[in-house]
Amino acid sequence: MDLPGFDIRYSEEGDLSFMEGWFAEPHVCDGFPFTYEEREFPLKNWIGFSKYKASLTGMVEGQPVAVGTLFLMPYRKVAHHSSFYLIVDAKWRRKGIGTSMVKNLLHLAQVRFRLESVHVEIFLPNPLVSVVKKVGFVPFAEQEGAIKIEGKLASRLLLEKFFV
Amino acid sequence: MTITTRFSEEADEKRLVEWLLQPGIMHWFPLADLREVEDAARIWMSYIKMKGVLTALWDGTPCGTALLYLSPYKKMAHQCLFAIIVDEKFRGKKVGTQLLTDLISLAQETHHIELLHLEVYEGNPATRLYERLGFVEYGRERHFIKEGKDHYLTKVMMQKVLS
Repeated sequence: MDLPGFDIRYSEEGDLSFMEGWFAEPHVCDGFPFTYEEREFPLKNWIGFSKYKASLTGMVEGQPVAVGTLFLMPYRKVAHHSSFYLIVDAKWRRKGIGTSMVKNLLHLAQVRFRLESVHVEIFLPNPLVSVVKKVGFVPFAEQEGAIKIEGKLASRLLLEKFFV
Repeated sequence: MTITTRFSEEADEKRLVEWLLQPGIMHWFPLADLREVEDAARIWMSYIKMKGVLTALWDGTPCGTALLYLSPYKKMAHQCLFAIIVDEKFRGKKVGTQLLTDLISLAQETHHIELLHLEVYEGNPATRLYERLGFVEYGRERHFIKEGKDHYLTKVMMQKVLS
């Protein structure tokens, strides 16, 4: 990507404070299973994967703007694949950062962790769908009514990408 | 002979570990060894405090357990994934049917679950029970389980709308 000053590094525990700020923006939590009030435990769990080098942080001019993380599976028979989560600071959307983060996560999955596939769970509607389809993800399940936001039901779309 | 169910107790965790370790059972779960079985059993029974776990009794003897993975998140609290296991000595005696029927009632009446769903691996005979009780497939994930170098199992996802 050609966004000046953009770079990616492994995430650090300290990136949590930036993530908390991004989740405070209106409607950002709508794309995730938790509400802003419930964010503490899931975000700690999320950034916890940084200790396995399974999390990447996107930076612009040295400032974190995105975090993407492979949620590695804890059991041996399912350790050949993982899901991922991605958050991009709302102020830095629609600049190609999401696509770049997903591509780098796929590289991390394939090269460092030797995974055979990666999957993602997306609550609809969500702009992440077009991002992941662009890099080769295909849907394998859609569950209607999987999430309820202020009484309104929405679907959960599951997509996967195989490396082999 | 009577089959009844009650809320599970901490002492049931040991039985669950035994049932998961019965020959051939781990093939139908994403578990590979004792450490993983004990970890999964601990998580399963951690839902006791939320009244999310039932134990089936055959004339008073524990013979199976079923679990509602109740979501800690408000937006997901109307739906729930579940899991079930029956002691191999009590298979084919309608224990699974009774357990799952009572679990559905618990989900609906106590936890106000509107959408109940499950994950089962392709070829698992329990699939017939789920179909009989009204669960329908909504997706499948290829290569979900890997056993050995290149033997894979597909995960089939099924659901039932409760209201």
